[in-house]
Amino acid sequence: MGKSQKSSKEVDELSKEISRDVTANGSTEGINEKDDRFQPSDLVDSLEDEGSPYDSGEDDQDASDYKSHSNAEESDSSEDEVQGSPYDSGEDDQDASDYKSLRSAEESDSSEDEVQGFSYDSGEDDQDASDYKSHRSAEESDSSEDEVPSRNTVGDVPLEWYKEEEHIGYDITGKKIKKRARKDRIESFLAGVDDAKNWRKIYDDYNDEEVELTKEEVKMIHRMLRGKTPHAGVDPYAPYVDWFEWEDKGHPLSNAPEPKRRFIPSKWEQKKVVRYIRAIRKGFLKFDKPKEEPHVYLLWGDDSTAAENKRHGLSYIPAPKPKLAGHEESYNPSVEFIPTQEEINSYQLMLEEDRPKFIPRRFESLRNVPAYENAIKETFDRCLDLYLCPRTRKKRINIDPESLKPKLPSLKDLRPYPSTCYLEYRGHTGPVKTISIDISGQWMASGSSDGTVRVWEIETSRCIKVWDVGEAVNHVTWNPLPELPILSISVGRDVLILDTRLANAENQARVKELLHVEESLLEEDEGNTTPVVRWVRDDKYDAIRLKHLKAVTTIDWHRKGDYFTTVVPSGHTRAILMHQLSKKHTHSPFQKLRGLPVTAVFHPTRSMFFISTKTHVWVYDLLKQKVVKKLETGLQEVSSISIHPGGDNVIVGSKEGKMCWFDMDLSSKPYKTLTSHHMKDITNVAFHRLYPLFASSSEDCTAYVFHGMVYSDLNQNPLIVPLKILRGHNSSKGRGVLDCKFHPRQPWLFTAGADSIIKLYCH
Amino acid sequence: MPKHHRPAGKKKEGNAAKYITRTRAVNYLQVSLAIFRRLCILKGIFPREPKKKVEGNHKTYYHMKDIMFLFHDPLLQKFRDIKAHAKKVKKAKAQKNKDLEDRLLDRAPTYKLDRLISERYPTFIDALRDLDDCLTMVHLFAALPAAEGERIQVQRIHNCRRFWMSQAEVEGQKITWLTPHALQQVLTDDVDFNVMITFLEFYETLLGFVNFKLYHSINVKYPPILDPLLEAIAAELYAMCRYIAAQPRTSSVDSLPITSGEDGQPGLEKLDIQTEESELRLAQLQHQLPTNEPGALMHLVEDSKAEDEDTDVETKECKNLFKNFKFFLSREVPREALLFVIPAFGGAVSWEGDGSPFRESDDGITHQIVDRPTQGHIFLSREYVQPQWIFDCINARIILPTEEYLVGRIPPPHLSPFVDNEAEGYVPEYAETIKRLQAAAKKKVLPMPGLENQDLNDPQTLLVKGIVDRTEANETAEKKRKLMMLEKQYHDELNMELQGIAYSSLKNKNLDNTVDNAKEDTITPTEEPEDLSQLTMSRKKRKLYEAMKIGQERKKDKVKLLHERKKNAEASKKV
Repeated sequence: MGKSQKSSKEVDELSKEISRDVTANGSTEGINEKDDRFQPSDLVDSLEDEGSPYDSGEDDQDASDYKSHSNAEESDSSEDEVQGSPYDSGEDDQDASDYKSLRSAEESDSSEDEVQGFSYDSGEDDQDASDYKSHRSAEESDSSEDEVPSRNTVGDVPLEWYKEEEHIGYDITGKKIKKRARKDRIESFLAGVDDAKNWRKIYDDYNDEEVELTKEEVKMIHRMLRGKTPHAGVDPYAPYVDWFEWEDKGHPLSNAPEPKRRFIPSKWEQKKVVRYIRAIRKGFLKFDKPKEEPHVYLLWGDDSTAAENKRHGLSYIPAPKPKLAGHEESYNPSVEFIPTQEEINSYQLMLEEDRPKFIPRRFESLRNVPAYENAIKETFDRCLDLYLCPRTRKKRINIDPESLKPKLPSLKDLRPYPSTCYLEYRGHTGPVKTISIDISGQWMASGSSDGTVRVWEIETSRCIKVWDVGEAVNHVTWNPLPELPILSISVGRDVLILDTRLANAENQARVKELLHVEESLLEEDEGNTTPVVRWVRDDKYDAIRLKHLKAVTTIDWHRKGDYFTTVVPSGHTRAILMHQLSKKHTHSPFQKLRGLPVTAVFHPTRSMFFISTKTHVWVYDLLKQKVVKKLETGLQEVSSISIHPGGDNVIVGSKEGKMCWFDMDLSSKPYKTLTSHHMKDITNVAFHRLYPLFASSSEDCTAYVFHGMVYSDLNQNPLIVPLKILRGHNSSKGRGVLDCKFHPRQPWLFTAGADSIIKLYCH
Repeated sequence: MPKHHRPAGKKKEGNAAKYITRTRAVNYLQVSLAIFRRLCILKGIFPREPKKKVEGNHKTYYHMKDIMFLFHDPLLQKFRDIKAHAKKVKKAKAQKNKDLEDRLLDRAPTYKLDRLISERYPTFIDALRDLDDCLTMVHLFAALPAAEGERIQVQRIHNCRRFWMSQAEVEGQKITWLTPHALQQVLTDDVDFNVMITFLEFYETLLGFVNFKLYHSINVKYPPILDPLLEAIAAELYAMCRYIAAQPRTSSVDSLPITSGEDGQPGLEKLDIQTEESELRLAQLQHQLPTNEPGALMHLVEDSKAEDEDTDVETKECKNLFKNFKFFLSREVPREALLFVIPAFGGAVSWEGDGSPFRESDDGITHQIVDRPTQGHIFLSREYVQPQWIFDCINARIILPTEEYLVGRIPPPHLSPFVDNEAEGYVPEYAETIKRLQAAAKKKVLPMPGLENQDLNDPQTLLVKGIVDRTEANETAEKKRKLMMLEKQYHDELNMELQGIAYSSLKNKNLDNTVDNAKEDTITPTEEPEDLSQLTMSRKKRKLYEAMKIGQERKKDKVKLLHERKKNAEASKKV
């Protein structure tokens, strides 16, 4: 419209000029007349209003009709133009004269008319004008919707804005236009079936109404669809009428010479063409569609060539297959798979990860089975597992757990070993800290923290002798020689070498002689600058008292019964002392000790000496006077040590409840460590002198008996078989079994308990 | 100084060099995390567990070689191209340059996955091995609603629908998959469909190639052109069968798998079907097929031949299960599953609706599968059974009596065929009944071929015999075991008597207890050596032993619970 308006303005000016000249022109009357005549061909007219390019010539009958009129009245095409066009001027005198006469008659009117004709704005109440107007309105009503003021006034805005609202917009008075209720599909379909004209109905979402197209409109649409002009009466190929050329038109509109660019090809266009050509040559631009390759084809031909068929890269770990459904996941499981309501409720109390993910339910027929709500979720989880879970190869062993146990010989073959409690020795009033068995196997000495040392006859459990030493006894040992029943007792800082008077008459004299200490010797000793130990005669017990500087913990006799060693843990350089009974002499051979000594033991056959510190066991050669070996126990705190009578194997017990077996020929590391049997500290470990047995006692009130066979064949490792757990002692003040010793000849075990009882276990 | 200080200029070594965290990998490849994910899914790359997690315990580690594998993949560049292209399109759209936009969209970069498939599955067997997840996923998506507003493309789903009847031929591989409920699945929000769709994309391609290979092996064209009418009424499976039957099989009959000829279900030789686990997963189809490679058949060595024949016998058994039966499916039964299963086991099947091969009034129908409370019109010549009967028959490999499965009755429990009852330690009651029936069926049928075929040279009869022998042997072994148990019990009692323990005192005690007690009394302690032998075990073995014991204990508890529940149920029934 804008364009036509513009042109109309131009024309307007021109026409004004012309009208001033009063040459000749189309009169308002003429127009009115013409309008009257053209009324039937309203469609064409309406188009003319719009100033469409097709106005100029017509081919159809309407057009011819119209032509005839136009010929008759020389007014053609658009009224706006016609009215003001200067070109008609000289053609029809009659009209012109007519016009003139009119003009002369009513000058003022015509001028108004002109204005009105060019721009239909001002509302004239002139008769002609009104007449004209009425015509126009009549024409417009059925042709173009542009002119019909639409119901909705929202303008050209996206209709989605009103999607959510209850109204579609506003009418001319500013009131909201409510949305109509939408028919549902079935209703509208039914309505459509009934209505024969339904196919012509169109829904106008702008005004929210249904518009029924007229037959003409439908025709127009069809023509437009076929790419023709909307109106049949338009000739797109009408001969050109050069309205700008006439004989004495005077000077042209523009006198400028034609610019050069009109005659030379465009540089930019050429550049663009070159670019396209290059792109085509180089293959950036392709015009033929890529060939459709087959979607699937035979990917795996012959699988026989193994070399090609190997997966490259890292070793592929296939994803584990999902678990297959069991009985309880059936839709109709047996009754026993369905949990009761209480059980289901109890699931709520369980931890999240322990809670069963699936609760079986029973459906009585297949048709009752609903969709599984977790199907998607589970598939998704599987996907996540597949691409997010680190995969590792894990060996899943499918074996009988019993096969893990070592093959041990049957216990029957390993008999005899102590298994049942046979005797109890009662008499002590405090925890029995230490016991020792006479080499003859007849007597047992025991020391308790109640300050007494007792000697028992083993077979009758009769207490033969009692010495009240006044202080808690730390350690008791018999002299290893059978003919010298001498007892060494460590009490606090002292060691008592005691004559038990159990020897026969001839030996009694020897013992007496041995235990005789001269005071002078004592004096002489005192004369030394630092007396390590003072040998003092103790008249009360008829014994020798060795006075140490610090508390003595253990005593061990050399196999020949002359030397013995005492351990004074806090003695620093004099922690390990060697004493010679016959000479009543003491010396400390180990000036430098690595670590705090716990116990010291003589080798049963050779001249070797074992000192155990808290973490290591040092083995000294007494003749060469140097360290032979260092056994690394790997324990935190060694409590006891025992040497196999063969001399090559050592067991070490520790306060964390572990026991190590060292095969000294094999290595300085433990051959075997038994870790799990004792819950509490091991108090003592012991080898049997004759039988392949060893035992350990612990604060947890148990003692273990093991079979420990050492073979003479060096290639064969020692055999260790746990035989028996000996229970029976009661705990007192958190302490259990404090000592254990084997009988020298029988497979019997003595245990000393914190409950002040000594027990004898026999086979 | 940090713990793992590495002096400047020294290369990383060990786990630090071998493994890379995910964030670093993404940066290294210069892609977004989403693309990295897609790449990992498509290339089948998964994180690995390094021995030493250098960068922290809570990170995901990839092997550097895996990342390099991605790095050198052309797909990486393709993804980058696609991303760039999307940007271009977006720009054109923003500039309202419709022309350019159309042109760009016309030339969108695409990628193909066939190379990846041949890379990940160099042999056909490899592909079959991974087909489980693939089938499950595709079936699930086939049942998904056509995604309103979701990012799942309708086309995809349609594709999947077409895949529905994907058949599995397996060369010695078992393939199990789940088919979702035929009713609509509800889309959940807590699922990242991007991930699923990437998987689906790969699986679709894989399945396409696998199907092609299978179809090719029986000389049928893939993709099949199905009867549009049948397809429209969703009887795709049947359409499929018809299509395959219609294909001319001319030249390479020899190369066909021996047993795949007749029934129109190519490749489906043996299949185990189990179904409907409670509300969940519906049909679980397990297909197991013997080796039927044409090449392999030629070069059969003696012993492998025996094996082959062995499986053949089993297949035959499967194929003849429903041989003389004609089934008719009512409207309400799950049609797809049954249409798939029954022909595979040699039955003829029809259904209510258009395009069915025969009508309900057909006289030859032996069984009508019905899943409704009552049946209106009843033909006396046929039996009306619930669909569970079919599945139970297939699982048991015998024709079960139909009384319990009749219309309106509550069918007996449906048991899973995947469970090894003996290993589990609990045999449900119905499993025992089935076992008895199986034994009965075998005794009835099996002596026959032995009598007919006298010549023992025929390997097949030998084998049949072998099978009979084996089953019999199993039975006798079981009997023997029971006898042994009884004998042992008797001996124990005798021993006790010898030891002078009054029988009456033991009467009320459990037998096991008495044995134990007796042993304890006679000095040899039975329990202690058990404890003690643990002492000499190494720590590792001991821990393992303890763990296994705990597992056994748990299993025992479970079985105990089942027994208890059963007892309770029976008690309540009596009351």
